[in-house]
Amino acid sequence: MTSSDTPVLHELRNVVKRFGGVTAVNDLSMTVNRGTVHGLIGPNGAGKTTVINLITGLFDVSSGSILFQGQRTDTLEPHRIAALGISRTYQNVRLFSGMSVLEQVLTGCYLGRGTSLFASFLGTPDARRKWKASRETAMHLLERVGMADRAGELAETLSYGEQRRIEIARALGSDPKMLLLDEPTAGMNHAEASEIGKLVHELRDSGLTILMVEHNISLVTEFCETCTVINFGQLLAEGTPRTCIDNPDVQTAYFGKKRDALGL
Amino acid sequence: MEALLDFWYAYSATLAFGLVNSLFALSMYSVLSAGILSFTTVVFAAVGGFAAAQMMGTFGLPLWLAVVIAGLLGGLASAIIAALFLKLETHWMALASLALILISRVVVLNTPSLTGGVMGMVVPVRASVLELAVLLAIVSLVFFRLHKSWYGLAIRAVREDAAAASTMGVSARQIQMIAFLISGVVGGLAGAAMATTLQYISADTFYLGVAFTMIASTVLGGSFFWFGPIVGAFVFTALPTITQAVLPEIQDIAKGVVLLVIMIYLPRGLIDPRARGLRKAARQRQQSALNGSDAVEARPGSSTAGHAHD
Repeated sequence: MTSSDTPVLHELRNVVKRFGGVTAVNDLSMTVNRGTVHGLIGPNGAGKTTVINLITGLFDVSSGSILFQGQRTDTLEPHRIAALGISRTYQNVRLFSGMSVLEQVLTGCYLGRGTSLFASFLGTPDARRKWKASRETAMHLLERVGMADRAGELAETLSYGEQRRIEIARALGSDPKMLLLDEPTAGMNHAEASEIGKLVHELRDSGLTILMVEHNISLVTEFCETCTVINFGQLLAEGTPRTCIDNPDVQTAYFGKKRDALGL
Repeated sequence: MEALLDFWYAYSATLAFGLVNSLFALSMYSVLSAGILSFTTVVFAAVGGFAAAQMMGTFGLPLWLAVVIAGLLGGLASAIIAALFLKLETHWMALASLALILISRVVVLNTPSLTGGVMGMVVPVRASVLELAVLLAIVSLVFFRLHKSWYGLAIRAVREDAAAASTMGVSARQIQMIAFLISGVVGGLAGAAMATTLQYISADTFYLGVAFTMIASTVLGGSFFWFGPIVGAFVFTALPTITQAVLPEIQDIAKGVVLLVIMIYLPRGLIDPRARGLRKAARQRQQSALNGSDAVEARPGSSTAGHAHD
């Protein structure tokens, strides 16, 4: 049996992450199936972004293991994990200062450049062709997020919502198998947010698997097929968004105890 | 015609040192553009300088062959140093590189068979201004091509946000290693150019004075585009000559004053590609504000936000 026969694309097994005396992620297990949109939700400080950082290799796990397509990735460096086909965006938008919109997305295409750094330096005909192809890919991705007409502008001069869309285009540049979106709709109004939701569904329909950290419960019910709820770094509930929200533990985590609210 | 010749005699030395200092500044820029502050260029230059002096003096090799060997040996030195240094955090790297300069001076003083020791070495060959200009042109072409290539894009990403770049598949270590190698080769060339311009080198030639000149040139010209360090090196080299002619009273502090002014008012240096994009965006905002578009509002964090609202 090859790994592509199983529905599981990505898996966390008993992952623990400690920062000094603080346990940010505690014995968390989670699976993401191929071709789905999976939500990772939880209150502020629940450890959602830490999980994303562990998956992409920016943090090392304290114990436990992370598997992508059946292969362990928790011992790999971030750029190796990216090369396996995991791409991400950032909660606070981390675009590169000084780069134009097109250059940002072109940087995202680095893995698929199809030529060596040296050939590119020499400017061989093949390297030039590949460079042009990457530029076209980048422009196509910008069209997809509706930013093609801003390609030449300095990305840092654009609005927050625009920067978020550029970041998604950049993350798609490597043609990943799995896309991690860390609060993609933060700071957006409802219309902008549903546009992102539409894009997410289009991407899923084209075969991409998406893991989405989201704060907004109503967006999760709208966008995600399955979800995992965590609090204090621990698993609280998993399943469909509906069953998760109906779970009394989840309601307590988000809204507090009813008894407290009534002042009893 | 005569006036032109007079001018040439008066300023050809300044021009030659401008070209040499440009090479030093580009060597430093190579690592600085990967987000590394390192003064190891001085050590690469010492390797290249003494090697070139020996090649031409002892073995009688022609200038260009000696220069090429100096570049290769500088590159070799940088490979060894990078392997040791890339483990360090950036500020420790800067400190370690300064320590290395101190150590290499002692080594130079105590290996008289290679470097002439305290006596220094006389270099029998002099590089013409034209030859130095050709060397700088070749090195500039390399930086021009690097900037236009995938390496150029990757190194900018690494400098601005190494962690984010790594999640795009860019290995910061690989990019920084290449940056060090280029710095080593160019540093070796700079050392050879220095040796054949001064025609006398000693332990003090490759010491803290050069380190100061090259960081000042790079900061002055700007470290965000390869042309910046060249501009900076020429301004910085010509400055003493200019102040001597115009305002001799301040010539001793002119370098320091210019450096301070630049750091306070133009922290990104004279040549800054980003500034153009920012100006363009500001113009567009102004334009749409004039057109009465209500989509454009004063943004928090802009210069007007400092004014209190009461």
